[in-house]
Amino acid sequence: MILTEDSIAKIKAKAVRYPRKKSAILPAWTVAYRQIGHVDEAIYKEISKVIGVPMVEIAEAATFYTMFPKKPRGKYLLQVCNNISCALRGSDSMITHLENKLDIKLGETTDDNQFSLIAVECLGACATAPMVQVNMEYHENLDATKLDKLIDDLKAKKD
Amino acid sequence: MSEAVKKDQPKVSVPTVTFSLDGQSVTVPKGTTVLQAAKDVGIHIPTFCWHPQLKSVGACRMCYVEVEKMPKLMVSCMLDAMDGMVVQTDSDQVRQGRKAVLEFILLNHPLDCPTCDKGGECDLQNLTFKHGVDDNRFDFKKARFKEESMTTTFDDKKIGPEIVLNRNRCILCYKCVRANKEAFGEYDLGAFERGNITQIDAVPGGEVCNPFSGNLVEICPVGALTNSDWRYKIRVWLTKTTPSLCNFNSSGSNIDFYKEDHQNKIFRVTSRTNDSIDDGWISDITRYGYQVINSADRLQKPLIKKDGKQVEVSWDEAINFIAKKYNDIKESVGRVCIGGLISPSLDNRSLYSFSKMIRTVCKSNNIDFRGDYRMLPNNPDSPFGVLRSQPFSIAEIDDSDVIVSFGSDLIHEHPNEYLRIRKAFNYTQPKIYSMMPYSVKSADVANIEYVYTPGTDETAINAICLAGIEENVVDASMATEYIKHVVPSTLKDASALCGLDEAELKILARSIAEGKKITFLVGEIVTRSKARDIITAALLNMNKLFGLSSKGQISILARYANSKGAEKLGILPDPIAPIKEALKNDFEEYPESEPRNTDGMMAHIRKEEIKGLFIVGSNPMMLYPDKEFIKESLDKLDFLVVCDLFETETTEAADVVLPLAGWAEYDGDYVNLEGVCQSAKQAVKPAGESKAAYEIVRLIAEKLEHKTFDVESIDKGVEACLAIDTTIKLPNEFLDIKAESEDVTGEFSHPIFIIDDAHHCGHLTEKAPSLNNFTAEAYLMMSEELAAKNNMQENDPVRVESEVSKLILPVKISESLDSDVLLIPRNFQSSPVTSLCMRKRRIDRVKISKVDE
Ligand code: SF4
Ligand code: FES
Ligand code: FES
Repeated sequence: MILTEDSIAKIKAKAVRYPRKKSAILPAWTVAYRQIGHVDEAIYKEISKVIGVPMVEIAEAATFYTMFPKKPRGKYLLQVCNNISCALRGSDSMITHLENKLDIKLGETTDDNQFSLIAVECLGACATAPMVQVNMEYHENLDATKLDKLIDDLKAKKD
Repeated sequence: MSEAVKKDQPKVSVPTVTFSLDGQSVTVPKGTTVLQAAKDVGIHIPTFCWHPQLKSVGACRMCYVEVEKMPKLMVSCMLDAMDGMVVQTDSDQVRQGRKAVLEFILLNHPLDCPTCDKGGECDLQNLTFKHGVDDNRFDFKKARFKEESMTTTFDDKKIGPEIVLNRNRCILCYKCVRANKEAFGEYDLGAFERGNITQIDAVPGGEVCNPFSGNLVEICPVGALTNSDWRYKIRVWLTKTTPSLCNFNSSGSNIDFYKEDHQNKIFRVTSRTNDSIDDGWISDITRYGYQVINSADRLQKPLIKKDGKQVEVSWDEAINFIAKKYNDIKESVGRVCIGGLISPSLDNRSLYSFSKMIRTVCKSNNIDFRGDYRMLPNNPDSPFGVLRSQPFSIAEIDDSDVIVSFGSDLIHEHPNEYLRIRKAFNYTQPKIYSMMPYSVKSADVANIEYVYTPGTDETAINAICLAGIEENVVDASMATEYIKHVVPSTLKDASALCGLDEAELKILARSIAEGKKITFLVGEIVTRSKARDIITAALLNMNKLFGLSSKGQISILARYANSKGAEKLGILPDPIAPIKEALKNDFEEYPESEPRNTDGMMAHIRKEEIKGLFIVGSNPMMLYPDKEFIKESLDKLDFLVVCDLFETETTEAADVVLPLAGWAEYDGDYVNLEGVCQSAKQAVKPAGESKAAYEIVRLIAEKLEHKTFDVESIDKGVEACLAIDTTIKLPNEFLDIKAESEDVTGEFSHPIFIIDDAHHCGHLTEKAPSLNNFTAEAYLMMSEELAAKNNMQENDPVRVESEVSKLILPVKISESLDSDVLLIPRNFQSSPVTSLCMRKRRIDRVKISKVDE
C-alpha cells in the first residue's frame, strides 16, 4: 500500500459522511494528494478498495479534474495563471521567464525534481495579476525581478 | 422510470396522460417520455444517445421536438409527456435545430466514411444525409487524437481483445460506457478527461474484455468502436442477413448472421432484438461463436478406421460400413445391442430422428442426451425430473419482487437471465439473493450473497426452511410435518453444517414467505451434482413449505440450446408417460428393452453387453467428469460411430467419423428454456460434405430398410411431442432428506468445480479465434487470499493433483472468489480437466503446489 494507515483512516472517516459511495472520491484524493503529491493508477486502485467504488469511476473523475496532478511533480509546483486578466498583465512573459530561468518547458519538471511549471486558469486573484501559485501559496503582482527572487529563495530554502 | 420497463410491462391501472403529437392525440401511461410515446405510435425521432434499455441522459440533443408554450426546443428523451402538451416532431424549427446539432457534432468528426467500417449503417452518416448538412462554418483545425503509428484521421486503439476505438470519430453519446456499467455491471470502460480531449477508453491498466463487450460496438452510433472481427472484411451493404439463434445458451438469443452471396462464409453476428428473451443484448459467446462454423478445421469427409488409421471415404462407403457392422453385431450376438448419445444443442428434427433410429431400428432404450452429468437418475419423475419440468418465463423476472438464484453462476450459464435480473435491479429493485458454494461475480446484484460449504447444498436449502419455521413465517402445522422429514432438524445444526449465518438465512426465509411474486432459479451446481436428486428433493420441500410455486416460478434451468427440446421429445431412456404415449403412436413399435441412461450404457458397455454406440455432437472424452472411466468404457466397444464438426478425442476413438453440419448450415427448430420453440434459418451451405444429423440418421436408417425417416414424418412426430404439456405434478408430501456428508481426505483438501469460461461454452468454442482472444487456455482460478497464502502470482504454473491424475495450470486470480474453492474451465482440449474427477465423488478435491522453474 502507498497510502499510509493514517491516510486510509482519514479517507474512511470522510467516506461515511456520504449516502452515495461515489461522493467520497474527491475527498479521498485530497487526502491522497496531501500525502503523495499526485494521484495515479496505483492510487486509484487503493482508493477503490478503501471506498468500495470501481477503479474506473475513480480514474474518470481524476482525469476530469485537472487540478490533481497525475504524475509525480517537483517539490514546488509553480502554477502560473494564464487567464484573461493575468494574460493582459503579462503572464506570457512570466511563463517565458520561468522557462528560461528553470530551463524547462511548460508542463515539465526540473532534473533535480525541485520545480514543476504549469499554466492554469483563473485563480481568482485578477486584481493582483499576474500571479503564480506555489504549492498552497499565492504570489501576486509579479514581475521578472520578483520572480527571480521567488525562485532563488525557494532554491535557498533548506529541507 | 425507464422506457424499457414501461414497454415491457404495460401496467393496467396506472394513471395516463393525453397529449397532442404532430396533431394526433396520444394517451400514454404517466411518466412515459415524449420520445417513447412517439416510438409507440410509429413517429420517428432521430437519436444518438438514447437506448431502449438504458436510462436517458440527454447527451446528444438530437431528439429535439418543439413544444407549444415552451420557449426552446426540448430533448424528447428527457421530457415526460404531460396532459395537454402540444408537440411537433418535424416542424421547421425542429429541423433547423437538429441540423445545428449535427453541425455541432460534426465539428471534430472526421469525414472518413469511405474508410470507416460503420459506413452504410452509421446513424451519423444517415442523419447527416437526411438533414442535408453539407457545410461547416468551423474553419479551425479539428481536434485529433493520434496514436504513434497512425496518420490523419486514424486513431486505432485496441481497447479490448475484440474492440478497436477511434476517438476522433466518437461523438460522446456515452452509450457504450452507460451500457457497460448499467446494463452489464462491468467496469472496464470509462469516459476520461474533459473538454476537447474527452475520450472513451479502457480502464487504466486494463482492457475491455467483459463477457458482453461486443454489444458496445453494436450500439455505438458511429464508427468509434469497431469489431476486430468485422473490420475491413466487407461492406455491410454487400451482406445479407439470415435470422438465427444462439447455439450456446438455452434462452436462444435471437441473432442475425451476415453473409455475402458469393462466399460461403459468415461475416458476423448481431442481435435481433427480442424483448421477451434477450432485450437486444447478446453475450460474446453468442456473437463470436459463429466462427466455429467458419473454422478451417471442420471435418470435410467421412472417415473410417482402417488398420488402426482413420482414412477419408465417401458417404456411401461409410454408410455401407455402418450397416455391415450393425448386421455383424446383430448376427454375432443375436440381437442389436447398440446405444446412442446425442448433444442437446442439436435441433428438434435431429434429436427426434436419432431417438427414432435408436428406438425403432436398434430396438433399444439406450439413449440419452446428458453426456456430461454424473450418475444420472433413470426415473423421469425423480425429484430432479419434477423440478426440471416446471415452467419458467424470462419476462416474469421483470416483475418479480423476490429473485433467488441457487447454484448458478448466472453470467456463465445464463447470460440473458443475468442481464434481465440486472435490469430489475436497476429499475424495479426486487430483493435479490444468490446462493452458491463459492462466491461469483453474478452476485453483484444480490442484496445478500450466501456462500455455503461445498457439498452441503441440501442442507443450505433445509436451513432456509428451518429459518422460516423459527421466524414463524410458514404454516405451523406444515412446519411440524416438515421437521419430521429432515436431518438436521434445527436451524442451529443446519446453519453450522452448511456454514451460513442464521440471521441472514432468516432474512431470506422472510423474503420468500412474504414475497408476492417470486422467481427461484436453480443452476448447474445442482444439475451436475451427483446428489442432484437429494438437492432437488430439498428444493421441492422448500417449495411446498413456502407455497412458492403458487406465487411465482421455481425451476431448474435448462442449460443448452435445446435441452428443453430434448426433454420434450423424449431423448431420455424412459420418457414421462404422455411423451412415451406419443412416441408409441408415432413409431411402428416401441422397444420393450430396459431403459439405460449414459451411465447405465457405460456400465453395460463395460460388461460387454452393449457393443456399439452412436455419439452425435457430444464429446464425452472431454466433458464427462471422469476421463479415465469414459476412456476405458469407449475402448471396450466393438463399434463406435461419432458425428461431430471437428476431430475430437472422442472421434479419435471412433471406427467411423461422420462430418456434422453446424447450426448455421441448415434450418432447425430449437426449444428454449421457457419451452418456446424458435427457428434458425440456414445461412450458409454445409462445410465440405458435412450433413445435418437428421440427414445422417436418415441415410443410416434407410440403408437398414427403415422408411419413415423423411423430414415430413419426423416433423409430424416432433409436432405431436411438442404439443404435450410436460410439466410434472409437484409432490404432495414432504420428502425425506438426510444431509449427505463426504469425508475430506487429508491432503486433497481444495474443492474444485469444473466451470465454463466466461467466453467459452462446451467443446466447440475453442474453434472461434475471437473467443480465444479472450481466453485461449485453461487456468486454475483461485481467490486472492489463497494465492497469497501459497505464494502464487497470476500466471504462475501450478501442479493440481487429485487422487487419480494431475495437471499443470497457470494461476488466475479472481476478484470475486473468497474461499479455498478452485475453479477450472473445461473448454480446452489441451487441458483435460475432467481427468481430475472421479465419478463416485460428489465434490472433487485436489492439492496444489507451485511448479519450480
Ligand atoms: S464510442 Fe461510440 S458509443 Fe461510445 S461514446 Fe463514443 S460514439 Fe458513443
Ligand atoms: S485571470 Fe489570473 S487570477 Fe484571474
Ligand atoms: S437522444 Fe435525446 S439527447 Fe440524445
